[in-house]
Amino acid sequence: MTLRWIAAGLLIAIATVVIAAAREPAPTFDEAERRAIAAHGPWPPAPRRDLSNRGSGQPAAIAFGARLFAEPRLSADGRLACATCHRPDRDWTDGVAAGQGAVPLDRRTQPLWNLGHAAWFGWAGQGDSLWAQSIRPILDPAEMASDARRAARLVREDATLACFHRAAFGAEPPEDERVLVDIGKALAAFQETLVSPRTPFDAFRDALIAGDAAGIAAYPDDAKRGLKLFVGRGECAACHFGPRFTTGEFADVGIPFFRRSGGVDPGRFEGIAQALANPFNRLGSHSDSADGAGATRLRHVERQHRNFGEFKIPGLRQVARTGPYMHDGSKPTLESVVEHYSTVSLDCLHGNTERLVRPLGLTPGESADLVAFLRSLSVEAPLPVAPPATCP
Amino acid sequence: MRAVLTALAMLVATSAPAVANCPLDLGRGLGWAVFSSQHLLAMRPDPPQIEVGEPFALLLNVCDRRNQPAQLVAIDATMPEHAHGMNYRPRLIDLGDGRYRVEGMVFHMPGRWELALDVRSGDTTERLTHDMMVQ
Repeated sequence: MTLRWIAAGLLIAIATVVIAAAREPAPTFDEAERRAIAAHGPWPPAPRRDLSNRGSGQPAAIAFGARLFAEPRLSADGRLACATCHRPDRDWTDGVAAGQGAVPLDRRTQPLWNLGHAAWFGWAGQGDSLWAQSIRPILDPAEMASDARRAARLVREDATLACFHRAAFGAEPPEDERVLVDIGKALAAFQETLVSPRTPFDAFRDALIAGDAAGIAAYPDDAKRGLKLFVGRGECAACHFGPRFTTGEFADVGIPFFRRSGGVDPGRFEGIAQALANPFNRLGSHSDSADGAGATRLRHVERQHRNFGEFKIPGLRQVARTGPYMHDGSKPTLESVVEHYSTVSLDCLHGNTERLVRPLGLTPGESADLVAFLRSLSVEAPLPVAPPATCP
Repeated sequence: MRAVLTALAMLVATSAPAVANCPLDLGRGLGWAVFSSQHLLAMRPDPPQIEVGEPFALLLNVCDRRNQPAQLVAIDATMPEHAHGMNYRPRLIDLGDGRYRVEGMVFHMPGRWELALDVRSGDTTERLTHDMMVQ
């Protein structure tokens, strides 16, 4: 009998919430909010060429890169291709908490969408170009565990790859390291073409700017309320800024940085040192930009104590399809990410860190709204069309 | 000592009549003048529009109260509301006659940035500040 009463009470409570939600007027946006929303577009952006990569934007280099991306012989044991972890059918990630290379890895595999507009690459920003970052896993003993000699031999001895290489970059260089760099640049040229599709948010953003009432009304109210939180009280847009929903920089958001394998992950603190020491960086001899164009950030980046435990601020496009989340994959769902920001303990943050990160204290309804907004940044993306085969 | 006044100004030679001999030859364009009772500083960004997360340079002229070139000692920028500075260390290039170019500035987050400019003339050193909103 008591259970019946409790059940009846719960039903009434749920019905009350549903009715209240149904009666809630559609959210509107003031001028400041409209400006903030407009800053998240337009989408897609115009392509940007990487001046340090002579293959950037070149069809032959893109075709070579597409071929290499699926090539397991780039790894030492011949079993691991870029596409093994960055799966085309899974929004260019793998859906698991931590990557698996030659050995289990500590960080999550990042999706590859929209990298043509990024400035730093990898969770710690250890790459200052997409081509440098593409070389890194090939050489990393924990990932593909190969070397320049093996990679160059593959391209020289495989007639099809040799043909792609010549078509993309001309005469084959004698040095193994230069062939390896060409491989990285072709992989980068291909990845630059991975631009995420337009989403329901983009249609709403454009309608809001145009004053298109029907377009505005078509965007769900819960997503609108979530967006209002995102650009307003939540201050999410301070870091998840601009059309890609990231400033491209780094932050400590209170995720523990202990590695599964033991020890700590210094994040950006180590990433800056690695970028500066990398012989393949934009200031090195392999850059195709003689005047160091595009190297301003590397010249001026400053390693600071607060970089310890900072990780890349990820872009949020396709976010609903690219979990789990955070650098260590420790948050399995978008709901758990929102819960983190709602309840984050300041004790988890390092000293002298970003004041934006503090417990938001969201109600269950607000959390659901924020998740609804985040989901509106994702759609099913068509599988890429293979570039025309220029070589047999 | 903080700047007593900051103002948006057209950077033409006539923008500050009280110190008209000071070489404010930054060319035409929107910029800022920052001054105290001791110093006058004019600056403009290159490229003209500062974008969040994009490197830019600052062109500056620094003069003292006697309309003579002064020295720019240091420059930094912080976001007071967020308790952090830039992620990049700018490089200050002395072009002579109180003219400077500062390279490697990046405002990596939208919001209010406070620019701090340490200037010196003779035995007088002071900090001028200027707020910039980046969106």
